[in-house]
Amino acid sequence: MKLSDRVENGVAILEPAGKIMGGSDATLLHERLHEHIDKGVKKVVIDLSGVDWVNSTGLGILISGLTTIKSNGGQLKLANVTEKIQSLLTITKLVTVFDSHDTVESALSSFE
Amino acid sequence: MDGPIIKDNTITIPSDQDYLVAVDDFLEGTLRGFGVDESTIADIAISVTEVVNNGIIHGNKCDPSKALTLQIARSGSTLKFVVSDEGEGFDPSCVDDPLKEENLLKEVGRGIFIIRSLMDKVEFENTPEGVRVTMTKTV
Repeated sequence: MKLSDRVENGVAILEPAGKIMGGSDATLLHERLHEHIDKGVKKVVIDLSGVDWVNSTGLGILISGLTTIKSNGGQLKLANVTEKIQSLLTITKLVTVFDSHDTVESALSSFE
Repeated sequence: MDGPIIKDNTITIPSDQDYLVAVDDFLEGTLRGFGVDESTIADIAISVTEVVNNGIIHGNKCDPSKALTLQIARSGSTLKFVVSDEGEGFDPSCVDDPLKEENLLKEVGRGIFIIRSLMDKVEFENTPEGVRVTMTKTV
């Protein structure tokens, strides 16, 4: 997985690319989230448009990101969830855990 | 073992998650060579990389002196994937139900459920050498 990010109107937009399958992926996302939290940025959108697939470990990495942000008083939303990832979120019932949006713009406008 | 060893349709790696990408590259390359469609390749890769992860972490305890092997075999339209580690074995029936409300926010524990959803057949076998997981998928 590669990871780029930017901050727009106080919201961190993380753009992973490739496959989220474990190993260094967890450390990369965790460290990047904490960099934003340390700077006071606690609203996060993860744009999944560039992600080919996510395995169970990758879902765990996303859950870890969600709980990290929530425990710091923030919010995390998913955007551009691909059909393959949506299917996994549905069968695992994680659709009830993540706030997913069709576009980054929709996710950005949904923050309270 | 210093790194991945590939021979025919088999890859053997030291038990280090840094080699997960090498396993995935080998797997997806082999499947494309078989003419498998991209959506099915993704389903298989999601399943096989998860079993490999489990073998490295839980089976071989991330000990790089222990090997993990993935064998791929094709018989007509049926593909078989065998992942072998050198671990002490486990009982897949002891895994908590990942769909229960109290387990939804757990970071682990849904791998076997997902693999059973995506593959046609999954078998776990505790052998004297370690754990062997056999997955089949008809394409």
